[in-house]
Amino acid sequence: MMRRGFRAAATLGRLRALPGAPCLLPIRNPATASGSSMASRISRFCPEKTDFKDFALPNASWCPDMLGLYQEFLEKTKTDGWIKLPSFKSNREHIHGLKLPTELADTPEKSDSRIITRSIQVEGQGYEHVIFFNPSEKKSVCLFQPGPYLEGPPGFAHGGSLATMMDETFSKTAYLVGEGLLTLSISIRFKNMIPVGSLAVLNVSVDKIEDQKLYLSCITQTRDQKTVYAKSSGVFFQLQLEQE
Amino acid sequence: MLGRGAARALGALRGLRGGAPPARSLGLSRRLLSFKKVLDKDHFLPKPCWGKDMRRLFDQFTKKCEDGSWIQLPSYEHISSQRSQDFSAFIHAYFPSASEVINEKLSQAQLFTRGFEDGMGFEYVMFYNEAEKRIVCVFQGGPHLQGMPGFFHGGATATIIDATVGMNAIVSGGIVMTANLNINFKSPIPLCSTVLVNSQLDKIEGRKLFVSCKVQSIDEKILYTEATSLFIMLEPKKKKYDLKEAVLNPLPA
Repeated sequence: MMRRGFRAAATLGRLRALPGAPCLLPIRNPATASGSSMASRISRFCPEKTDFKDFALPNASWCPDMLGLYQEFLEKTKTDGWIKLPSFKSNREHIHGLKLPTELADTPEKSDSRIITRSIQVEGQGYEHVIFFNPSEKKSVCLFQPGPYLEGPPGFAHGGSLATMMDETFSKTAYLVGEGLLTLSISIRFKNMIPVGSLAVLNVSVDKIEDQKLYLSCITQTRDQKTVYAKSSGVFFQLQLEQE
Repeated sequence: MLGRGAARALGALRGLRGGAPPARSLGLSRRLLSFKKVLDKDHFLPKPCWGKDMRRLFDQFTKKCEDGSWIQLPSYEHISSQRSQDFSAFIHAYFPSASEVINEKLSQAQLFTRGFEDGMGFEYVMFYNEAEKRIVCVFQGGPHLQGMPGFFHGGATATIIDATVGMNAIVSGGIVMTANLNINFKSPIPLCSTVLVNSQLDKIEGRKLFVSCKVQSIDEKILYTEATSLFIMLEPKKKKYDLKEAVLNPLPA
């Protein structure tokens, strides 16, 4: 296992360093850019027919606030150009038909791997969430209800669970808007704790795209916007997926 | 309203002791006594799901504890299982209207590490060096922490960093509140690997604690992630509940 890990790391070492970047990352070659458009990424990401189970659907554990806001956004998917993103048990299912660039694809496939936000399978215990995406505004809204398994202090969600939900929403948005794949940095200013079982709304937007990087910001608050839980920003690196 | 770090701090407070006077400094003999008490518990011994690297590092750091310069910190679960009565009294003082909710939640409370079957999520042990104000967390992440296929999710890394710097702030500052957390991802971490999360208290300015952190491969050759954080001490003059004491000298279970 470690040998494979080192091999992956050594492979990364063969890549050129971006000026000023801490990490060795593949340079995007404009000449061979995949030319995948946002529309094609969205249609691949949101297949009309699929065998993969979509976990981003209401269940008995959802609080009234979450259900209510979910219905509001469902209406917006019919009228205002919003799209409900499906949520599968692993990102492999989301990029079905595509694969990571060779430099990063060295690590072995683990059949029992799951994305962290769908790792807790008991309804209501973990990351209950659904993300709505607006392509023309380059924005996402994530409805997040942390369950008792995400508890830090008694009755409130652990800070890391909110960081995870932010990274996840940033990452899906960055990918759909501009093929952003790797988190380069994330910066969070915590304001208030989220009570377990209550709804937190994450509003994410893409602020700019520059030098192969996407800059996103997020404000996490209650549905009525009266309490701000946290403000954060993230920078993602663009990477093209390759055909399998 | 209290911030996120207070939440974490309060969680650790579950191990409050009733009548014992708070300790002001840890002498060598006291640390060895803690260490011995700590070794007596089941959950401080290697678990079957731990890989070779995790066991090796656990042994390495446990050896470092022998001279008292390092101590193994009790697991979050261990702290939380103690004296829930003292704890709920304390919580009531901070959240007067929340006591019923808290008690109800306590009964079904799961800590973030508990949501996973053994070996599938977060497996970790923390060691503390008081002289260097350093906490090293040996962390083995499982396959249910995936983000990009084959790698840890950025949030999983953020979570273990948050837990480590948070603990560092608690042992130095007692009850604390996370204000900021800034993480730079240098290299994606391969799924299921064991890494070292090395956190350092950089300075204390009044009620602010600055803690930085690096996530490295176990041979310290690869730097995966760097982070800085800011914590605020809540009511530093309030010595009635010594959180540091609860963490560093837990009662036997």
